[in-house]
Amino acid sequence: MNRYRIIPRLFLPALWLAGCGQQTPTLHIFNWADYIKPALVERFEREHGCRVVIDTFESNESMYNKLKAGATGYDLIFPSSYMVELMAAQGMLRQLDHSLLPNLVHIDQAMMVYATDPLCTYSVPYMMSNAGIAYRADKLGTIEATWAVFDRADLKGRMTLLNDYRETIGAALKFLGYSLNTTNDAELAQARDVVIRWKKNIAKLESEQYKNGIASGEFLLVHGYNGDLMQVISENTNVVYVTPKEGVSISCDHMVIPATAREVKLAHAFINFMLDPQVAAENTAFVHFLCPNKTAYQYLSDELRNDPAIFLPQDILAKSEVIKYLGPADAKYRVMWDAIKAAE
Amino acid sequence: MAPSRRTLHEILVTTPSFVWLSVLFCVPTLIVFAMTFKPADMYGGLGPGWTLETLRHLANPNYPAIIWRTIWLSAAATLISLVLSIPMAYYIARATPGLRNALLLLTIVPFWTNFLIRIFAWKILLHPEGFLKRALVAAGIIAPDTSLLYNPEAVLVVMVYTYLPFAILPIYAAAEKFDFHLLEAAMDLGASRLTAFRKVFLPGIRRGILTAFLMVFIPSLGSYVIPDVVGGPNSEMIGNKIAQRVFVDRNLPHASGLSAFLTLAVLVPLAVVWVVQKRTSGQPPTMQEVA
Repeated sequence: MNRYRIIPRLFLPALWLAGCGQQTPTLHIFNWADYIKPALVERFEREHGCRVVIDTFESNESMYNKLKAGATGYDLIFPSSYMVELMAAQGMLRQLDHSLLPNLVHIDQAMMVYATDPLCTYSVPYMMSNAGIAYRADKLGTIEATWAVFDRADLKGRMTLLNDYRETIGAALKFLGYSLNTTNDAELAQARDVVIRWKKNIAKLESEQYKNGIASGEFLLVHGYNGDLMQVISENTNVVYVTPKEGVSISCDHMVIPATAREVKLAHAFINFMLDPQVAAENTAFVHFLCPNKTAYQYLSDELRNDPAIFLPQDILAKSEVIKYLGPADAKYRVMWDAIKAAE
Repeated sequence: MAPSRRTLHEILVTTPSFVWLSVLFCVPTLIVFAMTFKPADMYGGLGPGWTLETLRHLANPNYPAIIWRTIWLSAAATLISLVLSIPMAYYIARATPGLRNALLLLTIVPFWTNFLIRIFAWKILLHPEGFLKRALVAAGIIAPDTSLLYNPEAVLVVMVYTYLPFAILPIYAAAEKFDFHLLEAAMDLGASRLTAFRKVFLPGIRRGILTAFLMVFIPSLGSYVIPDVVGGPNSEMIGNKIAQRVFVDRNLPHASGLSAFLTLAVLVPLAVVWVVQKRTSGQPPTMQEVA
């Protein structure tokens, strides 16, 4: 009996496809999780009479590997700067049509010095983040914002550093006063020894679980990204985020259209929509990252506008850098990372 | 006609699993081996031609420590699992049918919960401000700043926890078939309880123990999630290194080289067990052996 009852249902998707498949264009987005306000996506769907399907990735590498393995059908992707360079160099990205992006005028040119593609040939900056430290003020009191905190033996086993070779070696380079994009062997060797020293005090190298860890008190101090930690702080006010005085890494995620995109016009429309100042402000309030949109700043609440975790203070901003793709020299960092991981 | 029909039947029955194994296991393994000899390009792909470059890189001075850690953790996890599971299997096999079914069910119950969730549960159990930690500190067994998590010992504990059922089940299966009258006979002939257990019971369930050894040792060698979640900065195993080579370094040949090494490392215990079984196959312990 059941078998027969199912058959009409089998036709339903087919009818649905035949009915709306032709008229309703669908925009396929490939993005990080929790990185866009859902209500804004719904608004875009209403305004453009389309459907938006969002697929998520957890690292630039997994996104890249999926595309390299032949995945097509995405119209808009949100990679970080170095990945934009890597993809553009291989002809995986479509040049943007600026006539379809009138809202480009709103971009904060002061922040574009940190972008990899300042003319927006292939990419438009979406959100900027920085990697600093968060700690439990209820257990540690107020502590000085410096990378030297990882030398504190009294916090042994209760701190984490990011499991990311550019971020963690970069933090050590900043601590020593060097550029976090250095390719100087002597500077890198010093940074390696600093991380090996810090490693004795940390619980583990962790890029994901530090958020739960600091919230539950498992860790008392963690190295992590501002937006992620701000989301923790919004639920647990004992957590404080600070940017070390020696400077931090800044990273930028961009919106790009892959060469294989089908809905090219709609993808441009989505980029332009996200660049709309009020949309950008609403989105920043949701994800707690900085959208480098100058006109949008006036629409932000005072609390966000004055948040030093989102808008870095001038003196720290001056010492901060974007992690650049170093090409073949990148291997030097990976050799250091292997040595750090192996050191007892 | 009869034998050839039997052969035909055998071929028909084995073909699906044979095809499955060759297409989904042997071919991918050979591809992994072959990729070891391809050059890596900067973009995470494979370059043209063939090279021995990766083999030279496998002589990385940082590897011996990781390989040694992988082997000792796996060997320790296997040994502890065997030592714990032999008495358990003995007890289950001798229990009344009702109790036996209940005990077997309890052995399998953990599998109803997702593997990852069970490992994360250990993080709560060993939490630095958790119940267990506070109890141990209050009892004066550990110092307040001792960390129960993020060290190789935590990895070992969770590995034993995870793989213990895989040791109990095959040993139980062997013990269930064991004729316990042999133990009584041994004791009648003057053997002590321990001697009877050691010289009659253990050889009698030898096959079960060998299977349990493989079921624990091989997956332990390939551990990746456990050291990743409960391990600390000094608990990295080969599995974690392979993941780093793929996801971080985007160097597929190097990852393939390490995987090939791991495959070969797994084949060694398999070969040893095969040889041991071949030598002693089909010889249950006899009265002469005991005497």
